[in-house]
Amino acid sequence: MDNEVVIQTRNLSKVYRDFWGRKKVQALNSLSLEVNRGEVFGLLGPNGSGKTTTLKLLLGLLFPSEGEVSILGKPAVDVTKNQRIGYLPEESYLYRFLNAEETLDFYGRLFNMPAAERRERSRQLIERVGLQHARRRQLKEYSKGMTRRIGLAQALINDPDLILLDEPTSGLDPIGSRDMKDLIQKLKEEGKTVVMCSHLLADVQDVCDRIAILDRGELKVLGKVQDLLKDQGVTQIKTSRLSDDVVKELQAVLARHQAEVLEIDHPTASLEDLFVKTVRESAARPGQRHIPDSPEERPAPAPQPAAKT
Amino acid sequence: MSHDPVPFQILPALLQWLAVVGIILAISAVTLTVTSLATSGATGPLMIFEQIGGGIHDWLSTAGRRVWALTMLTFREAFRRKTLLVFVVFAILFLFAGWFLADTSPDPSMQIKVLVTFVLRAISWLILPVVLLLSCWGLPEDIRARSLHTVVTKPVYRHEVILGRIFGFSIVGGLVLVTMSVAGYIWILRQVPESAKSRLVARVPVYGALTFKDREGNDAAAGVNTGDEWMFRSYIEGNTKGRAIWDFQHLDQQLPSGAEDLLLESSFQVFRTYKGNIEKGILAQYILVNTDKKIRAALPPFEVHEFRDNVLKVERNLTDEEGKPVDLFNDLIHDGKLRVEVRCLTAAQFLGVARPDLFVRLPDRSFAVSYFKGIFGVGLMMVMIVVLGVTASSFVKGPIATILTLFMLLVGRMARPFFDELTSAQHMGGGVLESIYRIVKHLNPQTPLEDTLPNNIMQWIDSAGLNVMWALKYLFPDFQSFNMSEYVANGFDVPWSAAMLPSIALTVAYVIPWIILAHFSLKLRELEAK
Repeated sequence: MDNEVVIQTRNLSKVYRDFWGRKKVQALNSLSLEVNRGEVFGLLGPNGSGKTTTLKLLLGLLFPSEGEVSILGKPAVDVTKNQRIGYLPEESYLYRFLNAEETLDFYGRLFNMPAAERRERSRQLIERVGLQHARRRQLKEYSKGMTRRIGLAQALINDPDLILLDEPTSGLDPIGSRDMKDLIQKLKEEGKTVVMCSHLLADVQDVCDRIAILDRGELKVLGKVQDLLKDQGVTQIKTSRLSDDVVKELQAVLARHQAEVLEIDHPTASLEDLFVKTVRESAARPGQRHIPDSPEERPAPAPQPAAKT
Repeated sequence: MSHDPVPFQILPALLQWLAVVGIILAISAVTLTVTSLATSGATGPLMIFEQIGGGIHDWLSTAGRRVWALTMLTFREAFRRKTLLVFVVFAILFLFAGWFLADTSPDPSMQIKVLVTFVLRAISWLILPVVLLLSCWGLPEDIRARSLHTVVTKPVYRHEVILGRIFGFSIVGGLVLVTMSVAGYIWILRQVPESAKSRLVARVPVYGALTFKDREGNDAAAGVNTGDEWMFRSYIEGNTKGRAIWDFQHLDQQLPSGAEDLLLESSFQVFRTYKGNIEKGILAQYILVNTDKKIRAALPPFEVHEFRDNVLKVERNLTDEEGKPVDLFNDLIHDGKLRVEVRCLTAAQFLGVARPDLFVRLPDRSFAVSYFKGIFGVGLMMVMIVVLGVTASSFVKGPIATILTLFMLLVGRMARPFFDELTSAQHMGGGVLESIYRIVKHLNPQTPLEDTLPNNIMQWIDSAGLNVMWALKYLFPDFQSFNMSEYVANGFDVPWSAAMLPSIALTVAYVIPWIILAHFSLKLRELEAK
């Protein structure tokens, strides 16, 4: 990662006003941050914290009330900057009467791409997001997950240098969510800059190099994920499985050094890992079912009708 | 249809357009500057200049492929939203219209008029509301559904979105219009009775300039006002020296080479001071005159009946008033000029004439040509509505854009004479301030005001206000100019210089500023305001 600044905001503020110009809400207050080339940057915050407003200010969909925005070295309202940007909105606001191929062809034309290039790029992207089976179906027949996938494909149609993703895993099942995160990692490996905003903390933790946490329009935290999450007051030791005697011996050693043992336990995998493992195994071995081991897990027998007297 | 077709002069029209656009731009510039100074201080006007410069740069960066992509998107959207259902209404209308419209008049010309008017009106009334709704709702719906977000976050300029919408809706409307008009043409051909088919033509008239001689034979500004018609026609008295005189020009350029006769067609009216034999027309006579060589040839008298056209074929070989043979094309038509004097021969009866009541009829053109020129007028009006609708929808939501467009359409179609009268400065009693002053002071409108400084200032402000009003009335296009159906229905060719050219010029004159307005409106608005 080099340190070329791709996005820069200086005291960026946004106030939403009503018809009469009266202040309705301060959506963003003096946000100053920089995003460097090649990093995956996460904007975190609860609902209404100003994440999406920030993205829309970056894209020129909103105009700042105060402050400045520079994106790829150009002002946010400069249309030519969009040549190198891909944007996936929070909901995939696409034209529902088009099918997947028509959608990508349309967005390809907006980048002034020649027909042959559009066809090839559409084919690649439809394959990449796994929509080959639905390429000719109108988007109004798509599930939410499929719509997110075609939304992502349209964001990548121009092979952008900077990708802005608004809640990229929203509406996706755990497999889709994992695929999305894998794709973000792959984009990072290709040297792309990714800015994503989300309130799903686990997703952000998995893929982001740096994060900013916003609350009520203000920047509260900014830094590398690893640095921010590292607890300097606690030491964690991970080993292969130890016997109970070794654990007791270890506790004695730690006690001699006045260390308070907070927890010694076997780690648990995340639910997402379990889900993904289960579904992938199911795909590999169709027909395999879960058979309850203990009598408690088995369903109770259906009650017998009472005998007539 | 104008009752007095006047050739369109493009240069004066262009100057007038520049004057109107200049005044409106000046008003807008002053308003914007004051507003920006109030809201942003000294940097405000600078920002306006930047935006204007940016707008010019946008236009220079227009890409055909992007505009075409947006055009085709609009086209697909309209079709997949079942716009074609309008054809079903059209088909139902035409399936049953024949039952009610057949044999509505014993006069074949009237029968043709009824059928042609019905077809052209049905097409207009079906297409125009459809394109109005499409164009007013397309963009706001795109903004509401936020699908426009995925477009404007690509390298797409806002005016390309506007152009794509306009082209898309115009192509949809154009296809529907062509299909309906072909079906309508075939329907007319099938409905017109066999006996009237020969009247299904497009007459090509050459109009002359009309002057009068009074009953004493002196020059007169107009004929006699019989109280029957006040504005359009005036009357010449029978068996006097009163005459209506038409001077035709450039006939040599318009008549076909090798012509052996000349068709004079008239539609004079009659005002009878006594009833007499109502079945019998009153007598009139043409006198053809070469004004340079003073050659006069009187043609045989003919009868004029109320509400009936007269077609007279004038043969080449004639005799002058002294009985000498004269050649129509060599002796009477000189340098393309011909004078036709019309006399009323029946004593105590009057012949009503207006400029278009007499014309030289050139060889007829095909009815199809005239019909499709009429359809072209509907097409131009459709384009105007599309551009107006898209422009309105670039700054207000769908329902308001619909109401605004409809309002402009209705005012532009019906209230133009009112605006003309209001801004003609011919009202007695002066403008707004002067009228208030007169009311307060209990002064008659006819009473002249004293020549004092306050009165002069008041009148000057009123006069400036009227000039602004004069420019502002042009905010409402004269939609009546696009109505060419009267030409077609009355069996005339739609003239290029008096009907086609002005309506094309009118379209261009309004479409250009509207598109620029829509561009800046979409460029300067936030698409995601809460």
